[in-house]
Amino acid sequence: MTITCNQIDDLLFDGSPLAMETAARHAAECDACAETLAAWNELSVTAQSMRTTWQNDLLWPRIERAIREEKKRPAPRWLRQAVAAAAIILGLGAPLFYTLRVQSREAAFDRTIIRVSALDEVERAERDHIRAIENLEKVAESRLEDAESPLMISYKEKLMLLDDAIDECEANIENNRQNAHLRKQLLAMYSEKQQTLVAVLREDSNVSNP
Amino acid sequence: MPTDDMLQAALTTVLHPVPSSSSGGEDRRIAAACASGDAKIFEEIYRRYGDRMKSIAWNHLGNVSDAEDAVQETFLKVHRAASTYTGEASFSTWMFRILVNTCYDLLRKRKRRIDEAPIDEVVERTSPSVDDAKRITLRKLLDELPEQRRSVFTLFEIEGLSHAEIGEILGISEGNSKWILFATKKDLQTKWKQR
Repeated sequence: MTITCNQIDDLLFDGSPLAMETAARHAAECDACAETLAAWNELSVTAQSMRTTWQNDLLWPRIERAIREEKKRPAPRWLRQAVAAAAIILGLGAPLFYTLRVQSREAAFDRTIIRVSALDEVERAERDHIRAIENLEKVAESRLEDAESPLMISYKEKLMLLDDAIDECEANIENNRQNAHLRKQLLAMYSEKQQTLVAVLREDSNVSNP
Repeated sequence: MPTDDMLQAALTTVLHPVPSSSSGGEDRRIAAACASGDAKIFEEIYRRYGDRMKSIAWNHLGNVSDAEDAVQETFLKVHRAASTYTGEASFSTWMFRILVNTCYDLLRKRKRRIDEAPIDEVVERTSPSVDDAKRITLRKLLDELPEQRRSVFTLFEIEGLSHAEIGEILGISEGNSKWILFATKKDLQTKWKQR
């Protein structure tokens, strides 16, 4: 199978022995991809060498002793202490918490307004971006349905995988709307999906117009 | 209370890193023995998984002392929480999940970054052919990653776990684990070339 430089990432994402073999064949004739592949493989080799081991004959006896001590510890007393501690914390903390809460309520309200507004703006931009990708997906859909070449099948599998990951990420965002890291991750997934869809359309037009 | 023979047989068939729903019953029996504080079961678990647990902890925490603390704390947590084990994941996967979370807790609690901790010379490498400079570079790059990305990379590339296992350990899907690894390696690759 002949591939182009644009497809090397798809093969690295796949990661299967066949995909890596295909990537290596292409890299043998392409200096830029050879460099990319070398760095990719060097990372893996270095990582594999980081598995560590050391001998410490005292560790297991230490763990065993800790488990034994834990077992001996009377639970009711511990529970009583925990309840007492919780009561003290509540008794002392509640009035202080109430005072601080009243003082900060106005400031918090202002901050919430700003945050909600910023979030709405981010979500609006995301919706527009997603809508554009969905339009692209509709165009590519019929071509993917008739996928026959190994590359197109690989694209199809990649898109399914990305959709699963996107669903999961969106569910996580639903529970934590302000998590910027999750939003960046989602955006990266959508960008990858967009690039893959573009690659599908490009590949299809290459096949149609050789 | 299960007999020693029953538990030994269950350990032989169950204590492997691949998640398996069919061995859920035996896994629960192991968990019950752990909940009762059966020292023999803990010793067997340590014998089988101690090295891998130490390696995972070392690659999250960066030094032997913290890694050993994390392994010990994990055994205590397994003892405390074994009665809540539901059998959804294999016992070993469940234990690795506790270990990774314990490493996160230690990192946050001690506010100590890997590059600030002393580099241990006592550890032995499974592949001594790779030079230390590369390992130190990669360790520093890993230290800059968010927790989840570092864990996915560590568990897949260093420890050789599958995406299915990593998904169960970190509470994400197999596809997401694959995606995170790809994105992380792309990121590391760029920095690796610039080093």
